[in-house]
Amino acid sequence: MGVVMPINAEMEKKGGVVKGDVSGKSEATDLALFVRTSQEDMTGWNRERIVDALLRETYVDRDTAERISIEIEETISTGKVKTVTGPLIREMVNAKLLEYGLEQARRMHTRLGVPLYDVDQMLVHPNKENANVPHGPEATNLTLAEGIKKEYALLHVFSSDVADAHLNGDLHLHDLGFVDRPYCSGQSLEYIKKFGLNLPHALAMAGPAKHPEVLLAHMVKFAAALQSHFAGAIGWDAVNLFFAPYLEELDDKQVKQLAQMMIYEFSQQAVARGGQAIFSDINIYWEVPKHFENVPAIGPGGEYTGKTYGEYEKQAQRFAWALFDTYKEGDASGRPFFFPKPLVHITEKFFETEGHMDFLHHICDVASDKGNTYFVFDRGETAKISECCRLSFKLEASDLEDAKEPWRMRYSALQNITVNLPRLAYKADGDDTKLFSLLTEQLMLAAKGHEQKKKFIEKLMAHGENGPLSLLAMKLDGQTYLRLKKCSYLVGMVGLNELVRVHMGQEVHDSDEAMKFGLKIIAHMNILCNKMSEETGMKFVLEQTPAESTSYRFAKLDYVNYPEQSAKVLQGDFDKGEIYYTNSTLFNVGSLMNPIERVEREGLFHPLIEAGSITHIWLGEAQPDKEALANFVINIFRHTQNDQVAFSPEFTSCLDCGKTARGLSEVCSYCGSEHVDGITRITGYFTKVSSWNKGKLGELHDRYRNEGHFDGQGAVN
Amino acid sequence: MSEIKGFLETSFLDWPGRVSAVMFLSGCNFRCPFCHNHSLVLAPDKLNTIDLAYILDRLAKFKKWLGGVCVSGGEPTLSSQLPVVLRKLRREGWAVKLDTNGTRPQVLSELLSEGLLDMVSMDVKAPLDSKKYNSCAGTTVDLGSVKKSISLLKASDIDLEFRMTILPKFHSEKDISEWAEYLLDGECLKSPRLKLQNFNPRSTLDPHLLDDEPFASKTFEELQRLVV
Repeated sequence: MGVVMPINAEMEKKGGVVKGDVSGKSEATDLALFVRTSQEDMTGWNRERIVDALLRETYVDRDTAERISIEIEETISTGKVKTVTGPLIREMVNAKLLEYGLEQARRMHTRLGVPLYDVDQMLVHPNKENANVPHGPEATNLTLAEGIKKEYALLHVFSSDVADAHLNGDLHLHDLGFVDRPYCSGQSLEYIKKFGLNLPHALAMAGPAKHPEVLLAHMVKFAAALQSHFAGAIGWDAVNLFFAPYLEELDDKQVKQLAQMMIYEFSQQAVARGGQAIFSDINIYWEVPKHFENVPAIGPGGEYTGKTYGEYEKQAQRFAWALFDTYKEGDASGRPFFFPKPLVHITEKFFETEGHMDFLHHICDVASDKGNTYFVFDRGETAKISECCRLSFKLEASDLEDAKEPWRMRYSALQNITVNLPRLAYKADGDDTKLFSLLTEQLMLAAKGHEQKKKFIEKLMAHGENGPLSLLAMKLDGQTYLRLKKCSYLVGMVGLNELVRVHMGQEVHDSDEAMKFGLKIIAHMNILCNKMSEETGMKFVLEQTPAESTSYRFAKLDYVNYPEQSAKVLQGDFDKGEIYYTNSTLFNVGSLMNPIERVEREGLFHPLIEAGSITHIWLGEAQPDKEALANFVINIFRHTQNDQVAFSPEFTSCLDCGKTARGLSEVCSYCGSEHVDGITRITGYFTKVSSWNKGKLGELHDRYRNEGHFDGQGAVN
Repeated sequence: MSEIKGFLETSFLDWPGRVSAVMFLSGCNFRCPFCHNHSLVLAPDKLNTIDLAYILDRLAKFKKWLGGVCVSGGEPTLSSQLPVVLRKLRREGWAVKLDTNGTRPQVLSELLSEGLLDMVSMDVKAPLDSKKYNSCAGTTVDLGSVKKSISLLKASDIDLEFRMTILPKFHSEKDISEWAEYLLDGECLKSPRLKLQNFNPRSTLDPHLLDDEPFASKTFEELQRLVV
């Protein structure tokens, strides 16, 4: 018989059926997901369970609880209810609480779950919020779990003002379905090189790797373990350098083999959490970064080799070269690898290091042919670890001190909250003062949301190595793996271009005046983040939100709530519902602008956005000359403030003949089949176009592909 | 009279190894059926003329980014203004590459002796056989001039590229091999680059070709190997 149970108990026991005298029937298939198993039947009905639950979960007094339970019992026994289940009784009690005007109690007593219809839909139709989630039983598990945790987060982790701001689209709290994990992380291979694979509660413990293949196996498994403790990307610092001490005995063929194993391992890991590939990044240096030059190197068996990393330059370069050889080949059907994303740091020292031009041509060749290369520009003394779609952790003095023992270097952003910028302009109605004050309000609300998430994660971390975040609480080097004090809190933005367009009647790239105003908005956000950081001791930093689904979500919500104003500035195709706001501080993706001006002018925003920015150059079918591209990259480093650039080609992959051709096309250019899928970058990573959400499909259609600039078939005015 | 009808501020493909700007001069003595710049050839009056001063002004903004300027067409050597344009570019310190079909060896010779060119990309449309050449160029071509230009360029010390747009209708595997053999034969001060371009049916001078198929990707890849 259905009895009210606390939420958790109910969830633990899901999967059973209620058999009762009242219904006389079992509806196993329909109800299996939602109804707890019960040994009891109608005869075992005990109204006291309702009372217990109300007293345990809410602040309702015993008399009221008794009265409610009696009334529920009467309804049931008069036979009005044919099938009694736990959730049904809970809903009936909730309705009673409302009748009694006990709104707070109802909230506390609420049930998290998913309607039957939704589950049915979900099992059949793919989730397009994240193109990196395939469709399958693991993926639907992920979506279901995310759905419940999202509800939990909005009811129980965040205050109602923060939750409401998310729900109405003023803000977007990213990855609410992962509320019990930090957002993403960047780390060092040195941790597993030194400590082996020694994870809490693991069935077996492995000592430090003695062979490069074993180190790779540890890296992949640790990445999978981290993926189940973080919402987003798992990045690795200076991968080619930290592998170097293991490579001395290997000939070039073996190094190439290792590179191939690494890339295939990460790109084929679509078997772990939710069937998702691990969103993985590898940072690559041609030179030995200054801060690692004199650091004693750890080699096989976790022992110091007696050399410094400075002495492993050649081995590190061999590995970097081989990794890009593999990217250049693509997978077995010639498609670009989606993961791990290679981020090459271009620094002053890069240009002082022998062979850098050859390497630059090599990675530009890959950029032109397959698109994988991310060019990360670290000017002056800047050093950083990059990951995710564009996130980077700038290394401060204390981090450079940590670099002497690189296993200490691990960084995490705890959460990402994005501000819907165009909406502020609708509300401000042309008034500058109002616009900036609304922006301030939203940032403060975002900070409040961050504090609430921080408290929640702290609570979970407080349970230590036997708690829910045991992996993050492990203390192999004396401090917890997740160094909460070092965590940053990301504040993102969507639709600066549309904000400026509403407020000034021009898009950001249209005039110097519009550009200046755009910069003022971002500068204000940056200053506020710094101020709030000083006040709270939490590190708030701006990041260009990748906004894979957020730019679509905000656009949809504003189209409903601000139909007149938003219709004037929303991008995309209204008839197809493919509407979106321009991502972060990027310019209109369709604007005719030569790539020099795009990297220069978008780059003006980058110094204000500390936690990472990127400029995309969409190549379409064009395949630029690698040496010309190399010259361009050098000039970006020398003459702009741009932080990161990626060149994105498009491909058509044939599902029949298995070949891959350049450009997005309806038919395969090899065999003529129409059974094809497009491949290109969605926001910061490559995916199949068939998995994209409608907003991004609208953007894809609008992208200005620079083909005139790159394919030599120049546009004629 | 031919004028500047197109200007591309940055190109990553027109000048091997360099980021370059490209300007397009109108008018052409060929009628290649597969031409994708046919508006420059057939209806240049419908296109806006771009002021050279404007171009020089825009170029100056990208001085540190650009490795040179390509002058393309149409067929730029038909223009009496060409030397004037090139001298102005030179005066502002720009490296210059010329795209030509090689039908005006006299002009080429003058530009070379005046030292106005750093590189030439010459379209050699087919093996040097009148019937084949005429059908690719869509007109009767004086092959003597074409050959003269080829030897002129091979004897000069500037960078050199010979290009050919190929399509199944006009070019056999044998044609391509012969073409490459001819161009690589004999003395050459700097060895020329040979480049094949696959026909793109998206916009063509002869509308009949819009339905023509280019070489399949794999075939094109194999054909490219014939000229390397």
